[in-house]
Amino acid sequence: MEVLLLKKERLNGFIEKLQQDFEVIAPLKGDVIRFLPLKNPDDIFLGKNAYFPIKEYFFKKNEVLFQFNGTKIIVPELPSKKRAFFGLRRCDLNAIKHQDMVFMNDIHDPYYTAARKDSYLIGYHCNTAPSPYCFCGSLELADYFDLMVYDKKDDFLVEIGSSKGKGMAKKYASLFSKTSKKISEEEKKIPGSDRLEKKDISLFYNNSDWKKGTDLCLSCGACTALCPTCYCFETHDEVKTSNINEGERKRNWSSCQLQEFTRVAGEHVYRKDREERFKHRIFHQLEYFKEKHKVPLCVGCGRCIEGCPTRIDFVDILNNMKVENG
Amino acid sequence: MDNPYVPRPYKVLSSARETADTFTMTVGMAVLHSPGQFVQVSVPGYGEAPISICSDSRKEIKLNIRQVGAVTNALAGLKKGETVLLRGPYGKGYPMKKLNGKDIVIVGGGCGVAPLKGLIDYVENHRKDFGQVSMFLGYRSPDDIIFKKELAGWKKKYSINVTVDKKGNTKSCIDAREGFVTDALGETDIRADKSAAMICGPPIMMKGSIGILKSKGFRDKQIFVSTERLMYCAMGVCCHCMIRGKFTCLDGPVFRYDEIMDIENG
Repeated sequence: MEVLLLKKERLNGFIEKLQQDFEVIAPLKGDVIRFLPLKNPDDIFLGKNAYFPIKEYFFKKNEVLFQFNGTKIIVPELPSKKRAFFGLRRCDLNAIKHQDMVFMNDIHDPYYTAARKDSYLIGYHCNTAPSPYCFCGSLELADYFDLMVYDKKDDFLVEIGSSKGKGMAKKYASLFSKTSKKISEEEKKIPGSDRLEKKDISLFYNNSDWKKGTDLCLSCGACTALCPTCYCFETHDEVKTSNINEGERKRNWSSCQLQEFTRVAGEHVYRKDREERFKHRIFHQLEYFKEKHKVPLCVGCGRCIEGCPTRIDFVDILNNMKVENG
Repeated sequence: MDNPYVPRPYKVLSSARETADTFTMTVGMAVLHSPGQFVQVSVPGYGEAPISICSDSRKEIKLNIRQVGAVTNALAGLKKGETVLLRGPYGKGYPMKKLNGKDIVIVGGGCGVAPLKGLIDYVENHRKDFGQVSMFLGYRSPDDIIFKKELAGWKKKYSINVTVDKKGNTKSCIDAREGFVTDALGETDIRADKSAAMICGPPIMMKGSIGILKSKGFRDKQIFVSTERLMYCAMGVCCHCMIRGKFTCLDGPVFRYDEIMDIENG
């Protein structure tokens, strides 16, 4: 893929140019690092990955699916948003890829598509794993960006990954210089990010070690909320107190780690034990999604571990799982 | 492109009470479907619920609904001529074409009989394609028996075993014995070799029935279970209905038993 050179002192100039054409979303440091609309390019924080994932911008935590008045249904206008996302790591770009598979390929989700189709993804490559919980190198990640920025000490190298990226490179051509350099596959590997050992976990479905993941579990659902790929949701209706015939059907994130997730009429709960629910999450991330989409859902960002109040480390648990006899 | 979350309006053609807490609603939805498929029924302000189709017609669909929650209670209030919002049908039903020539064993518990009734209607409409039909239907009490009228008709044509957990004092025109449906199934001679068994009911009853069928020589591939799960989207996205990576709404609700096995915890 084509590579351009961006001098370090020109990064802010590039961001400012972007700001003229897009709403720019970038990692900013506040209480924690979050992807937020950017005002001043100096505020961009690239020292560590964002604590919260990017999914909120496309697969919203709360989405009005439609309004209703009696049995009449009014679908809201879904204007597309021209946004440039800057500073997305390889894990987060792949998380977008996997959610694209679900919401734009498995089904045509008009809400996700409207939020996603005019977004421009500008990645920032990790030269080393930014967190001790990272394990993206153990997963099957691919190039999925419009532009990718590599920090090469003296300069940035910018790789073009799509026609959208090509368009940006052309539009802001005055900022970039030509280079003969290429980004090798070796350079895309992130040192210190391969701590999840390769294993056929289907052999461990009945292993007693899954319990290790649940002895400490508080069923808070932080793991699924912070996961950039988790896409489970529920819907519910809200009515106006002034007229109960009018209201909205809303979609919210939900969590497979909670008992409510499977509760049916008659109060029956499937996967009643935390152990079953924990195992289900890991199997969905590493196995089930792959059966259908040829790639694991998990992108190895480590947020579910870092954000867990009791630091349940499923990577550690899997690495230590041994074949049991009988 | 159509918004897949938006239900469409259909006319309620009739709504008739089956038991104290169940009713059957006929909706003017003319749609191709196979027995075992379901629709998402909406009542704005209350929400949406998956309901299996319990009929086999191209002109209309019948929905047998048990009043157990907000949506189903609201549906009970809908009268003939009013509008109901639906989307679907969804899911994979019973593979009827593949079962041609087979004897059909039907095992149903409570409102799990509803999707099986769609299958029975299909068999009636294609009677020459199937062999003997035996039914094992279990209910809590005589008062909980659904499709009483239809049962009387089935009795003349098929081998029927109706059980109730407790007889109580109520008089019923249905000849039901006290006990579980699994007892009736265990005591009956059914041949496994040319049969396919269809089960739908509470998890514990399905588990018990599968055990009995297997002891009678049924292989996993001859057993079809219709599963119930909480679901929102019905399109294989919201993930609530997932059983070991399979979506109840997409790959089911009817599964060949070897496809899912661990019904409870998968």
